[in-house]
Amino acid sequence: MREINAYRCRRCGTLHYPFRMVCKECKENDFFEFDPVPLPRTGRIVTWTRIYNLPAEFEVPTLGVAVVELDNGLRMLGQIDIADPQIGMEVVGSVQVVRRDAYESRYGMVFRAA
Amino acid sequence: MREVYVAGIGITTFTRLEFPLAEIAAYASMAAMKDSGIDRFDHLYVANMGSARINNQSALASAVVDTLSQTPAGAERIENGPASGASAIKQGFMAVASGMHDVVMVTGAERMREVNNLEATNFVATLTHPLAEYVYGVTLPSHAAMFTKLYMERYGVTERHLAMVGVKNQNNATMNEWAHLQQPITMDGIMDSPEAFTNNPYVSEPLRFFDCCPVSDGGASVLLTTKEIAQSTGRPLVRITGIGQATDTLAVFEREDPTDLLAVRRSARLAYDMAGIEPSDVDVAELHDAFTILEIAESEEAGFFPKGEGHLALERGETEIGGKLPINPSGGLKGKGHPVGATGVAQAHEIVTQLRGEAGERQVADARIGFTCNFGGFGNNVISMTYRREE
Amino acid sequence: MAVDLEKILRPVDHPLPPFPAKYMTLASGETMVIRQATRDEVPELLKHVAPLVYVERDYYDLVAARVYAELLGWYHYRMQDEYVLVAQIDGELAAIVNGRTVNPKLGMSLHTLAMRRGLRIGAHAFAAKMEYHIDILDQDEVLIVAESPIGFRRWMIEYKLEERFETSHELGGVPSYALTKELFDRARNTLVVGRRPVPDDLLAKAHEAILPPADPPTPPQDLLAATRAKYDSTGTALILQRWAQERSQGDA
Repeated sequence: MREINAYRCRRCGTLHYPFRMVCKECKENDFFEFDPVPLPRTGRIVTWTRIYNLPAEFEVPTLGVAVVELDNGLRMLGQIDIADPQIGMEVVGSVQVVRRDAYESRYGMVFRAA
Repeated sequence: MREVYVAGIGITTFTRLEFPLAEIAAYASMAAMKDSGIDRFDHLYVANMGSARINNQSALASAVVDTLSQTPAGAERIENGPASGASAIKQGFMAVASGMHDVVMVTGAERMREVNNLEATNFVATLTHPLAEYVYGVTLPSHAAMFTKLYMERYGVTERHLAMVGVKNQNNATMNEWAHLQQPITMDGIMDSPEAFTNNPYVSEPLRFFDCCPVSDGGASVLLTTKEIAQSTGRPLVRITGIGQATDTLAVFEREDPTDLLAVRRSARLAYDMAGIEPSDVDVAELHDAFTILEIAESEEAGFFPKGEGHLALERGETEIGGKLPINPSGGLKGKGHPVGATGVAQAHEIVTQLRGEAGERQVADARIGFTCNFGGFGNNVISMTYRREE
Repeated sequence: MAVDLEKILRPVDHPLPPFPAKYMTLASGETMVIRQATRDEVPELLKHVAPLVYVERDYYDLVAARVYAELLGWYHYRMQDEYVLVAQIDGELAAIVNGRTVNPKLGMSLHTLAMRRGLRIGAHAFAAKMEYHIDILDQDEVLIVAESPIGFRRWMIEYKLEERFETSHELGGVPSYALTKELFDRARNTLVVGRRPVPDDLLAKAHEAILPPADPPTPPQDLLAATRAKYDSTGTALILQRWAQERSQGDA
């Protein structure tokens, strides 16, 4: 099963998502000293939108995306498969293909109403 | 540090241009040289975001300096997303202020319409976080849309307020001969009439067609130099008095407060401090309204209106050309167009035009101190500047 | 004899209900009227379509050339069951859309040609055409093809048109898509826009004359310019050559 990971600084324990090379809190982790920690799958919608003007690879009429605050306090962006999204709505995510480039399928989080 | 003056300005029409990118940059530069009467520069900075990807031209600055026959002057391309223009001005400022060069040409240019709209959208989207944002198909409008939803929820901004910004800026643009959109729009046409939403469909809910700036080609230039050389041109003296820059997290969802534009606030503060002024001293501002919501939010973060009240000032007409604090008299990005690399320099062009008193119909009365804000990424790299007219 | 020959050469038109004119407010606040054109207006329309054949971008040249042929075919009674709708702003031509019926239940959308940009006029005109086929002619579906990628996105993707690849569309056999009655009903709020009846004075103005478009698309400044950047980045030499040529012609 695929996971999307947050990264915990080995020195001060701060969680980061997305990945960065130097811890943003202690800035002392000798670059790159992080442990991957799977992101929780549940959270609440902070904000969302439905995109009508999409890049060429997306052959769908519209695409919903949302910023979700996960149960551990971190926020992430994901696609949403929700008919009537609301700010504050409880959602649950799963890792799926979110974009297809010329040669690869790219994975990311897709959220549904909980 | 020496004082730095803008001795010449130049601009091309922002529209669909049919000649190569290097020539767009050259036209604007030649116009600035004509404006100032100075025909040789020591160094050139070219602000541009997409030359390598869209126009198949790398090392753009080398092409421009050669086509202008200004070799052996040094030249670089400066890229900072949509804030490339202000970044290039900053570099030019530092070159003159440090004493390294006396006459520096700063030109912004972009030729986005060499590719079709879908490609252009994709290209601009590459400034988002590759793994946490781009891969999901987010576009710049979608970031602005999510930001707008929160603003609506927290501060009561409505789709109508957004439309008001669009109407104001497109109307201002009709008085600007260089602007892309020479067509006024009405509230009836884009909001009220039964057909309004066919005229004004969603681009990314809740942002609509007329909330987003057009895709344009164009170039703009400013010629920076010392006080003595500027005085010798006989043009009104305009000095760059303050520059501030601040960055923030690349991923928009990682911002501390998702309704804050912290980088705008910080960079504006740094610029005001350097210039020794306060927001209330500003007479005219050119803000980065790639999406109408950004004009409202930036006007608050730059200190012109209290946080959450920008849309109220808009309602009261305070940001019109005749109002208390005219914002985007040129039409802004919405009305004038947004050739990405040229925008920051075009903002400077407008402010200098205003401070010189040469803005014709759209002149802001008694403009002495101007402010620009060039918004890179989606608020993660912002450069603010202040300008002053000197006698 | 000429009359007999004409009877063979001329297809028999089925009687089609007329398109009831409608009007709408554009983003600029102007009012646009969409109404059906008559055969005798074709010579006037051709005058405005002809220059667009030389606008070599956004497929204007192809669409204009095909519309020219379709209008002329209709005018000379060599196209069966074709209809033409025109969109006018204060009498000024803003768009031409056309199509025809294949049989009573199947329509074939031909083209949408907009003369003024930036006001979503093409969107209004296309919607009027779809309304004509499905609501007024009571057809079951309309075959549609797109010549440009933007058209493909706006119609095929946005309205989720069904594939009809087995059916050859008249426009060169490119893969056809269909707008079915069901899809139309689902998108009714975006496809049926505009108001009826048109106020008398507006309608009279529209019927009075088809005025030339004020700001039609024009060919690129320098024909070489659009392609030059693709193949030769130092094309300045060509511009300078052209200027020199113009100057010497001016002296002569």
